Amino acid sequence: MQVIELFKTAIQSLKANKKRSFLTIIGIMIGIAAVIAILGIGDGITQTMYDKFGNNAKQGQQTTEIAFYPDNLTSSTYGFTQTEVDNIKTQFGGEIKRVQIERETDNLSTQAQIGDTTKRTNVSLLKKPTNKISLISGKNFTKNNLTAGQASALMSDKVAKKQYGTAQNALGTTVTVNDVTYNIIGVYKAQGQYTGDGNQNPYGADILVPDSLYYHGESATQGNTLKLTLSQGVNASHISRKVAKYLKKNGPARNQGSYEYIDMEKALKQFSSEMSIITTFISFIAAISLFIAGIGVMNMMYISVSERTQEIGIRLAVGATPFNIMMQFLVEAVILTVTGGLLGFIGGAGLAHLLAPLLSNAIGGAGIHIHAHISMNAFLLAFGTSAAVGLIFGILPARQAANKNLIDILR
Amino acid sequence: MITLKNINKYYHQGNQRFHVLHDISIEIDRGELVAIIGESGSGKSTLINIIGFLDDDFEGTYFYQDHPIHDYTRKQFSGLRNQNVGFVFQNFKLLRESTVADNVALPLLYAGKSRKEIGARVSEVLNQVGLAGYEQQLPKNMSGGQQQRVSIARAISTHPKFLIADEPTGALDSETSQEIMNLFKSLNQNEGTTIIMVTHDPHVAEQCERVIKIIDGRVISDSKEGEKRAGN
Ligand SMILES: Nc1ncnc2c1ncn2[C@@H]1O[C@H](COP(=O)(O)OP(=O)(O)OP(=O)(O)O)[C@@H](O)[C@H]1O
Ligand SMILES: [Mg+2]
Repeated sequence: MQVIELFKTAIQSLKANKKRSFLTIIGIMIGIAAVIAILGIGDGITQTMYDKFGNNAKQGQQTTEIAFYPDNLTSSTYGFTQTEVDNIKTQFGGEIKRVQIERETDNLSTQAQIGDTTKRTNVSLLKKPTNKISLISGKNFTKNNLTAGQASALMSDKVAKKQYGTAQNALGTTVTVNDVTYNIIGVYKAQGQYTGDGNQNPYGADILVPDSLYYHGESATQGNTLKLTLSQGVNASHISRKVAKYLKKNGPARNQGSYEYIDMEKALKQFSSEMSIITTFISFIAAISLFIAGIGVMNMMYISVSERTQEIGIRLAVGATPFNIMMQFLVEAVILTVTGGLLGFIGGAGLAHLLAPLLSNAIGGAGIHIHAHISMNAFLLAFGTSAAVGLIFGILPARQAANKNLIDILR
Repeated sequence: MITLKNINKYYHQGNQRFHVLHDISIEIDRGELVAIIGESGSGKSTLINIIGFLDDDFEGTYFYQDHPIHDYTRKQFSGLRNQNVGFVFQNFKLLRESTVADNVALPLLYAGKSRKEIGARVSEVLNQVGLAGYEQQLPKNMSGGQQQRVSIARAISTHPKFLIADEPTGALDSETSQEIMNLFKSLNQNEGTTIIMVTHDPHVAEQCERVIKIIDGRVISDSKEGEKRAGN
């Protein structure tokens, strides 16, 4: 018998018993959907974490960061200066492609001359206009303000009231920061210095100025974060650790704070292995549900075999081999489970994409967007598992069908 | 064509052994139309199942053409059945939920033919049994006589060397029986198909050129042997 006929015959028989076929498919579908959804979300979380915190291995290079934590939070000492950068370049030149002090843009603590008084002020730098502040008077930054090199600034109402009495009065006054004098074009409502989840809030600063002017277009010469760029393939964590060790011994501010390399890769590896333990565990539970669905398939096939005894007898009498009969029932079982598997894959993928954003919300970080990640492997897994379930749980009923005694059937 | 020698058949029930066929020796030539008659329980169906390669569990020797059937296994039987025998049963044994065309096509499918090749042959045999145009009917909507014609069409679809019919008219009224009998006779005479049938009906038996009578698992008379003896 030709293979295509085998499939046609199987599909015909399944159609003849729609309700039962449907129920069997549902069973498999749920099992597979559960596995795919869990894997999709798990992979998605791991991927998101790597994207956000990994060594950003992209375009042939990776980057790491070494941070300086001053003991006294209000001190104005910086952990890194240009000298440090040069030292590290000579010390580790062979292994590190680029050493850069990260430009700090949020809540820089610096001297500012507001009106006629000079005092320590928090300044944040903006690259793009923002709608996260609420203006009390004047105008917000436009794109033009920020890119055209206009020396304009925004001031918080707290500072304005203290210095000029009202917000209105502050408009048109000047503030001088880092040798640049800015015109105040707007006053915004003061915000807390930290966001709800404990991160720095750039809009909590006293004054907002354009990023392009503050650094005079140059890279930072001092700061508390050092950015290392390394070639792809070298052990970034290892080298960064060595740099951190060097800084602990020789860093200019080693007595006023500590230099730390936070090995995100290491943490991420641990995280992803923990994730995979969890996914394995949940998948194990899903496997049990698949097993139960498999028993369902077996049950349905046994019923089918005993109901269709006459059919089996007729087929055998007109020349079907026992192998033909076995294949027919096996193909029926596999068609059922693979259909269930593919539907389950679609359902599971959909579910994962639906649940992932909810999960991001639950975690609460505005910066964290978890996208479900459905891989080709997940598809192969769904296909393979469902086919395997069909084969494993279909083989016994199929063999029973094939081994029926023809004489007994025809009597 | 068919040579049975000293065939013995036992049924086992628990540890009891029930001797059904006793030393049956029969020869059937190509083109014969044979009726096997005998009382109920005498072993007619058992015998015809052995002849039709449905039952491989017997003692004695059975040569079909040059095949030593007694040495063949269940697996080899399938191909042999498909290529050489057509079956007609008392209760038709059709797939009631499949169309007439699908039923008739069944042996051809197992012979490895594709559906394209099969279509023409199906129409041809349906025409031959007087059911032209019935392809898409369902057997459950047809009369007994029509269903038996479908099963005959199925039996002859692969051009088998011989037909086995176990009480083909047993479930039909006498008029329909005669129609079926006429069909068998025309197949036998025009196509040269060898036909071996079991029957209770004396009217049917008397239309066959050769009648073998079995009682209690023994051949007690064979009209052909009778002729031979008479000839000697
Ligand atoms: N599978 C079986 N197991 C046990 N005994 C059987 C089996 N098949 C037939 N028999 C017995 O063997 C004997 C012959 O049966 P068989 O069916 O060949 O008779 P038959 O001549 O065809 O009868 P009928 O005219 O009623 O169809 C009967 O006594 C029957 O009970
Ligand atoms: Mg009988």
